[in-house]
Amino acid sequence: METRDKILVLDDEGDWLDVCREFLTLLPGKPDIRTVSSGMSALSLLDAEPFRLLLCDLKMPRMDGLQVLSIVRRRFPELRTVALTGFSDEDFRSRAYALGVDMFWLKSDMQRNPQMFLECIESLLGQEDGVGVRDDQGKNLLDVIRMELALRNSSVLRITSGKQVAQIWIKDGQLIDAQVEDADGEVAFGRLLKWKSTAFESLPAEPAHVQTIAKSLDALLLESVQTVKKTDYATPAQVEEQTKFITRLTAVAYEGAEFVATVPAQKQDTAKGWGIKDVDRLAAWVRLAEKSAQRLGEEFNSGPLTHIVGHSLERSLLLVRGNGRTFAIGWPPEADPRRLFEQSINLAETWAS
Amino acid sequence: MGILNWFAKSAPAVRRLPAGSFTVDRHGNLMTTTVGSEYPQWLLDDTARVVLSLFREARAARMPLTGLDLNFAGLHIAAREMQGGAIIFLSPQNLFAPLLSAESGRA
Repeated sequence: METRDKILVLDDEGDWLDVCREFLTLLPGKPDIRTVSSGMSALSLLDAEPFRLLLCDLKMPRMDGLQVLSIVRRRFPELRTVALTGFSDEDFRSRAYALGVDMFWLKSDMQRNPQMFLECIESLLGQEDGVGVRDDQGKNLLDVIRMELALRNSSVLRITSGKQVAQIWIKDGQLIDAQVEDADGEVAFGRLLKWKSTAFESLPAEPAHVQTIAKSLDALLLESVQTVKKTDYATPAQVEEQTKFITRLTAVAYEGAEFVATVPAQKQDTAKGWGIKDVDRLAAWVRLAEKSAQRLGEEFNSGPLTHIVGHSLERSLLLVRGNGRTFAIGWPPEADPRRLFEQSINLAETWAS
Repeated sequence: MGILNWFAKSAPAVRRLPAGSFTVDRHGNLMTTTVGSEYPQWLLDDTARVVLSLFREARAARMPLTGLDLNFAGLHIAAREMQGGAIIFLSPQNLFAPLLSAESGRA
């Protein structure tokens, strides 16, 4: 009796398929790994055999990953899906999540954090269908809502989860209102999507019910997905902070930096670091370097300090000023030294904006 | 004639930016130099002190460095660590010598 999970990897690059295979064989469950290089082959194989997980590249010729995922989502709702891409494009990420993928990974992050990647895959494989997993429950409820909208129905859905009760109003195939405890409208719908173990019943339509939701279901889902990994009821400030965080990390990954630390001029202001453990020691050095260099510049009468570069066999370290702070950016040894200054400025500008 | 001397004394001296290299030992003592002798030695000593101190403090911050470039609008100071001491290059920047900055390469 075959008990091993089956994983299908779809990518148009043969080398990458080999890398994935090597990675995935390290999983403790020793899953059966199959690879295909086109969307059509993937769909045929999924039709022929049951798979537990699909790892799908997004950028492919002819049928791209988003098209494959959109078909897979409808035809194989139980299949777990992971979108993989080499491009840190926010649009790709949003569209993939809107299609209901379980995870979105950059290939560079996957190679950089293989252990974390494997743990995520293991966790996905370990999840039982429909048990205590927000996404699964969300999808079940969403399927019902989608069906109501597709059929252009008018109805009221009463949803329960334990002692919690919520209602959704649908009119002529449009989601017009939701109520959960003390919240209504979009906020209520957002909360509802996070409920676990939901049960629902259809009540008679209320045509006179006041419309409070104007956005489409896809827009609401996209917003919900973008906040799903945070605390349940994130404040706008937290949402903004999270967005900044993702943008910054994307910029770091895009430029290929190892770490970034921001060091305010004043010693009492806290330095912050991403990708570096001991930011305080580095910050102390950065302040010393700047102060000493500026003093030397005054003695030489050599004009303003533009930037400082430190070299070692392990990395290059660039200090550039921006937005009232000094950015200390670590670059891997293989980074092109002729482009480091320009890249550091780009990264600092993205960070500051 | 006295009045001409009086005018001559009021002209400010313009000091050229230094060009050349010098080496210092681990204590910052000047070993060799190609920087012109008209340039005050205390400035070279001070540069060496700063560079050696930054190498030392970088090690303490667990970010050991073997090279350091200080880039100013008009001057590029490049230092490479040598057995605890350093060799330091001073290169004036002007319109005809593009800013060396990060382009100077790694140690």
